[in-house]
Amino acid sequence: MSLLEVSDLTVEYASGGYLIRPIHEFNLSMERGELGILLGASGSGKSTLLSALAGLLRPAGGSIRVDGQEVVGLAGRALTLYRQRGVGVVFQAFNLIPSLSVRENIELVLLTAGYSGHHAHARSEELLGAVDLLAHTRKRPGQLSGGQQQRVSIARALALDPRMILADEPTAHLDYIQVEGVLNILRELADADRTVLVATHDDRLLPLADRVIELTPRKRRTGGPPERRELADGEVLFRQGDEGQLVYAVESGTIQLLREVANGPDEVITEVTSGRYFGELAPLFNLPRSATAKALGQAVVNGLPLDIFRDQMREQGTPVAGPWSAAVEAALLEEGAR
Amino acid sequence: MTSVAPLSASPRATYPAAEATPTHPGAIRPVLLTSLRDLQWRIRRFVLAAVATGFVLALALMMSGISNSFSVEVHNTIAALGAQTWLVRAGSPGPFTDPVPLPLRTVAEASRLPGVRRAAPLLVSRAIETTPGASASSDKNVNVLGIEPGRLGSPAVVQGQGLGGGDEIVADESLHLAVGSTVALNGTTFRVVGLTNGITYFAGQPVVFMGLGALNRMDGSSPPVATAVLLDGVPTRTLPGFTALTDSQVRTDLGRPVAQASKTIKLIEVLLWIVAAAIIAAIIYLSALERRADFAVMKAVGTPSWHLFVGLVVQAALLACVAAAIGFLVEAAVAPTSSMAVRLSGADYAAVPVLAVLVGIVASFLPARRAARVDPALAFGAG
Repeated sequence: MSLLEVSDLTVEYASGGYLIRPIHEFNLSMERGELGILLGASGSGKSTLLSALAGLLRPAGGSIRVDGQEVVGLAGRALTLYRQRGVGVVFQAFNLIPSLSVRENIELVLLTAGYSGHHAHARSEELLGAVDLLAHTRKRPGQLSGGQQQRVSIARALALDPRMILADEPTAHLDYIQVEGVLNILRELADADRTVLVATHDDRLLPLADRVIELTPRKRRTGGPPERRELADGEVLFRQGDEGQLVYAVESGTIQLLREVANGPDEVITEVTSGRYFGELAPLFNLPRSATAKALGQAVVNGLPLDIFRDQMREQGTPVAGPWSAAVEAALLEEGAR
Repeated sequence: MTSVAPLSASPRATYPAAEATPTHPGAIRPVLLTSLRDLQWRIRRFVLAAVATGFVLALALMMSGISNSFSVEVHNTIAALGAQTWLVRAGSPGPFTDPVPLPLRTVAEASRLPGVRRAAPLLVSRAIETTPGASASSDKNVNVLGIEPGRLGSPAVVQGQGLGGGDEIVADESLHLAVGSTVALNGTTFRVVGLTNGITYFAGQPVVFMGLGALNRMDGSSPPVATAVLLDGVPTRTLPGFTALTDSQVRTDLGRPVAQASKTIKLIEVLLWIVAAAIIAAIIYLSALERRADFAVMKAVGTPSWHLFVGLVVQAALLACVAAAIGFLVEAAVAPTSSMAVRLSGADYAAVPVLAVLVGIVASFLPARRAARVDPALAFGAG
């Protein structure tokens, strides 16, 4: 059985009144001993996914099973126990408690879980020895380098010997010498019983991974073939959160752009009429669609890849020179020839 | 990093078997660890807050002492005169706030009333004590009680001897006069033969006892008069044109001039406690705001919400305790310099830390609740 099973996970939250869905029907399975790299650009939902896996936020839907235990829906003491023993987290900014000594930062986790002071002391010494920091046990975190702090953070994550370690951009604040030490430890953490998932946007970490999970698909050079769509009244062209490769120009009719609102019906952002275009940001920046496009009455739209869209804009000042431009025809012919 | 190598295989193996399960679930130690370390971390702010709160508590304590002194001095003065019943002119609210002269023969008539064992005259007056050669600002208001030496109304002295006659007086210690010294009251010179302790009224003004004749002469009353008759016993009827007042009624009369001041002082005392609570609340609230990221991290690594809540409450209680200790020291240093009597009992002192801790707990409730509700997902953006 996999140690981590994520099925149809959806996380959503309200931002500025709009509903944001950074994780949408996400699936993932990881075996014991695997080290996975969660790769994605800033804002792609890496930290959100880690938060859900760590039991820090409640997903809107789906399931997370860690070592057979369902995490979604845990509450109260069961959730606290999961956070203590089920998962260890290594944070980007180390997040050590500045008023506690290095050793006390680790002891705190053990004492909170109900272990004796004697045991907490022995265990913290053991872990600090393992990350080569025994000489610094009495220091405050602020007296350590970034790499040393990150090693303390790793030792803290291991304090209660969790089955899964989550690391959020663990090398973001480190120089290349410090990075090496931290990467070595992370690699060694994934053993027969433990799974490690590292979120990063730094693809230099990829050689470390047993597998790579991309939250943002790599950008395609071309946006796919052009398409001409005839839409019936109310027909949806694309939905908010979908991947988007084409820019759409309205040949005839009207397209409504709607955004999901946290509490209430979708909000109409704008209506795009004949001769105008929409949906350019998703292919341009490789982002999900930020709104839903729906026909208001019968409508015809031309979907153009970015390069054709740019050519048309440069040459004609509009993406819609006629019902179906020569550039589009040429692109379709080229696509057919392949 | 050679020592890192065993880590991947070691944690389970080196986890001591005897401690495989927690032995102190729900222990308060991690709460104390984080709370005390944080206080140590922010020690300057903590000390400043404790000193500020301590001064406020010292003021509150002094207000309480002054307020206490009003009721204590009333009790002492009435007890010193030893009367069970007080006879005054009908319509007079009492012997102290509105002394109305009555002829001395009333004393003999009152002594014959059924239920009365002894009767003695009392003349209530006021005077200015002046020191020869000193400026007017050093003059003091004194309450003067004229009595017949050796009879009902003669006070117990703590130093010197009881009142004789002529120019002798017995004065309260708060006048800072020595036995054998002389003092000028309204320009007449008297000799101090004895001292009483704690006999003052009207907010700490000292009482001077002198012979009834001497006081009549000083006041220029002729023929001699009294303003009340002190009775030992409770008469079953009273003389026509007179009212018999109980101890309790006389207490009310004696406390009336300072009743309003007493209420105001109590109000100030309450306000000072509120200020102390506000200081504690502000410090704890600030701490809760600053430690928001820490709290998120602590929750993320499995710290229960109640630990965070109790941690801040513990900090507030500690702050209150230290402030109470500072308050005691400040009060002890300042109270002797006060021109008004500050009377505090052991219970008053004991109440301060208890009340301070309660105030601290109440004051920290909202910030502590805020801390307990912090979103642990913030940990991913913390730092």
